[in-house]
Amino acid sequence: MAHRFFRDRGQAEEAAQETFLKAFAQLKSFAGRGSMEGWLTRIATNTCLNMLRSASRRPELVTSGLTEDETDWLEKVSDSSRAQPLDAEQKMIAADLAERLLATLSPEDRLALTMIDGEGASVNEVAEVTGWSESKVKVRAFRARRKAREALEKLIGKKH
Amino acid sequence: MPERHITETLDNTPFTALTESELSTIREHAGSCIECANAFAAAQLSSVLLKERISEAAESAANANPFFQTRVLAAWRGQQGPASGWSFRRLWNATGAIVASMAATTAALAVLTFVVPATDTNNPQTAANQQAAALVPYSAETVVLEQDQDDNQLTNDQVISAIYADDNEGR
Repeated sequence: MAHRFFRDRGQAEEAAQETFLKAFAQLKSFAGRGSMEGWLTRIATNTCLNMLRSASRRPELVTSGLTEDETDWLEKVSDSSRAQPLDAEQKMIAADLAERLLATLSPEDRLALTMIDGEGASVNEVAEVTGWSESKVKVRAFRARRKAREALEKLIGKKH
Repeated sequence: MPERHITETLDNTPFTALTESELSTIREHAGSCIECANAFAAAQLSSVLLKERISEAAESAANANPFFQTRVLAAWRGQQGPASGWSFRRLWNATGAIVASMAATTAALAVLTFVVPATDTNNPQTAANQQAAALVPYSAETVVLEQDQDDNQLTNDQVISAIYADDNEGR
């Protein structure tokens, strides 16, 4: 769960540790209602969101900020009409770029986009994990999708 | 307005969840509209990036730090320590032995100081010893503590005459 939010291993472990410490401290409040996994996932989600909120820095994704490898990769991918399998290096570049794209979003938008579009979770599942209403999840996902698309459109548009 | 419709479709639904009919509509429109073609490419790219990010996250989770559990338990113990650090129980555990031994020593000293001398006067043996000591005119205590008084009571001449009185009689 923490690795979805944080690419950096240290940050992911910090979030996971914080989650377990909170869970130990609030173990009495669990009281066996629902699944333990769901309860832990909810704590983890809130912990990760809080950590992302405290970071609060959301750098804009601009062409001038891209590395040479990322620029080459973008050109290659956007020129090819069909999705091609990526090698290990290209996968890493893609993951780098994805992280930078996600970093431009608010923590809530990031969560919605990662879970729904990335992992294929349903709106209901995200609502359960976050405690948000389904309509809020839909709005967040819609907004995140649009922001991500527009940010990438600018990069692709400037390449063409 | 067709362009708006296409971008709304892209934003409303995850790219991987678009149906074939939706995709064919989008492709058809993107063929004649550069802006929508760009939007479609961006949405497709976004989907690829997210997929790669998630697969990387899954790999990272699979290769979790083997010492993570130890780290969490250490942090838990560390967190527990300060929370109840000043409780009486913890304080007692740390200093209980010293405090108890100090209290016992103080009590023993008090007993030896106040209780034992008072009870000794009731003891016949002790009382007899004290009386005997009182009868001896030059007891150690008297010699040490009342040395000056003795010197004042007898002059040197008196002492000499007392010592040599018998010798003079013999002569």
